[in-house]
Amino acid sequence: MFLGVDIGSSSSKAALIDKNGGLIGSQVINQGTGTDAARDIAAILLAAAGVKRQEILYSVVTGYGRMIYRDADAQVTEISCHGLGVARTLPAVRTIIDIGGQDAKVIRLDGEGRVVNFGMNEKCAAGTGRFLEVMARVLGREITALSALAAQSTRPVQISSVCTVFAESEVISQLAAGAAPADVARGAHLSVAARVAGMCGRTGVAPQVAMTGGVALNRDLVDAMAIELGVGIQVPPAPQIMGALGAAYYAQAKYARRPA
Amino acid sequence: MNSLLAELTAAGRRPKETALRSLRETGKKGVGCFPIYVPEEIIHAAGLLPIGLWGGQTEFKQADKYLQSFCCSIMRANVELGIKGVYKDLAAVIITAYCDTLRAVLNNWPAAVPGLKAIPMVYPQNRLEPAALEYMLEKFRTLQKELESISGIEATPDRLADSLALYEKYRAGMREFTQLARSHPLTVDVRLRHNVVKAAYYMDKAVYTEKLLALNQWLASLPEEKGGIPVIVTGLLAEPESFLALFAENGLFFAGDDLAQESRQFRVAARPDGSPLERIARRFLDLRGCTFFCDPLKTRGELLIQMARDTGAQGIVVCMYKFCDPEEFDYPVYKEEIEAAGLPLLYLEIEQRMDGVEQLRTRIQSFAETLRS
Repeated sequence: MFLGVDIGSSSSKAALIDKNGGLIGSQVINQGTGTDAARDIAAILLAAAGVKRQEILYSVVTGYGRMIYRDADAQVTEISCHGLGVARTLPAVRTIIDIGGQDAKVIRLDGEGRVVNFGMNEKCAAGTGRFLEVMARVLGREITALSALAAQSTRPVQISSVCTVFAESEVISQLAAGAAPADVARGAHLSVAARVAGMCGRTGVAPQVAMTGGVALNRDLVDAMAIELGVGIQVPPAPQIMGALGAAYYAQAKYARRPA
Repeated sequence: MNSLLAELTAAGRRPKETALRSLRETGKKGVGCFPIYVPEEIIHAAGLLPIGLWGGQTEFKQADKYLQSFCCSIMRANVELGIKGVYKDLAAVIITAYCDTLRAVLNNWPAAVPGLKAIPMVYPQNRLEPAALEYMLEKFRTLQKELESISGIEATPDRLADSLALYEKYRAGMREFTQLARSHPLTVDVRLRHNVVKAAYYMDKAVYTEKLLALNQWLASLPEEKGGIPVIVTGLLAEPESFLALFAENGLFFAGDDLAQESRQFRVAARPDGSPLERIARRFLDLRGCTFFCDPLKTRGELLIQMARDTGAQGIVVCMYKFCDPEEFDYPVYKEEIEAAGLPLLYLEIEQRMDGVEQLRTRIQSFAETLRS
């Protein structure tokens, strides 16, 4: 068996595959690097799957916290891992949009599922999950409730500030002026979509397009992204674990190529 | 490590210490040279020691009185260090006018650092016109007089010829060194390569060149090394070392560079004909593919592609210095050409002082993984 661990900035994920690449199990905990979850995610998955540590032939860690994770045999970037995870899950995909807790990435794949180009947001939180967390807090909602809320929007507000901090002030002003929370939620989604579309402009977009990461669970945002790019967007089953799954596939490949 | 390699690396790592030692050992007065290019031969011929001023790791407290936060941090650092008195051992600084920020620094310097004379140096942008040479010579003569008044030494044609010969020897040595670094990427990793090149800004050129040529001789005696993925790096500069370490960490080495702080300084040799001053001037006019001079033919993309082909580089890394407008203007043009040529391209935004390099690590590692796949 092969283990992939993805330690992100706001969540920890793990995936376990068998020698044929079949998914045995996965875990997601919404606590990221530096937390107990990051340390324990693999053990939790193994316990849930009834697998002993010694049964793992090889493991790969990825994600923002990969450099300080000590329990894996190798580390690979989340860009390569999301690329491989999606390439195996949705082989026709050529462009991946991965919106994580503190960064957003656009990954281009070739016909063989290899990463040929990628783009990342700069240091600011605009266009990332963090932006949505801030918006959810201002609206007094859980982040998981944003999608349903935004779906009720009739007149989305325009959020013109690029900076998350300024956008927060702007949204508070709009709510104070009587804007409906649903319209603000939809406005936040449109803002993220516009920001990420700008990144797509740098790397180019080739169909088919898929979204990964926890933000891909937000259906309204996926729809906003599809409208902004003018293409349909697929969401793989369990989009959060694509990085961990890709890491598990890397573990399998690295094990096969290990020196005799 | 070879003692010369260690010595030059250490010299490049500690600019202030190296510069003060050079001033002490030569007994010359120092002239600070702002980026990008300064005719150092004229400074040398006037009996002065040119010292490169390429920013540094400093907190900005007083510089913000004169420069906005969207000005590049090299210029903000230079002004900050000037105000703090770090340049007090220099007799003057030459401030060029390659970009809007440099022009602002030139105008603000007398108020910001009143005790240190600033000599302006303006270059012709339209270098294809015959008048460009005349203009440049006139500017050089003015500069020469300013420098002579500081040192009391006349930069005679003979002294200029001697200085030019020394600098030509230095530049040829640098070109050879970058080639040897390419064929010996394990002995001269990207950090050592950078610091050896950078050390030249703070040392007397005769002393530096002697050591460099001996280092080259030693490198040439070693068998060629295989290891890592060769890439071409382009931009204003590539530092700090924590940034360069990411390349080493991921098995990338520089098969060649198109950095303003490095190879653009020495990749063009002086023409053999003309007076010393003309030959110095023509070298600036002959430089192609540099963002800081108007290049109506937009040759940078072609130059980078050719460099990659000549050296076997597998990709091109753009080190975009934050808020460097001239470099940003060039990027869309050469990006399109490089992509059309099928060469992988990595865009990185950098600053001299970066408290965290995690995002850069992910980008560089991903690029390396892509090149290996």
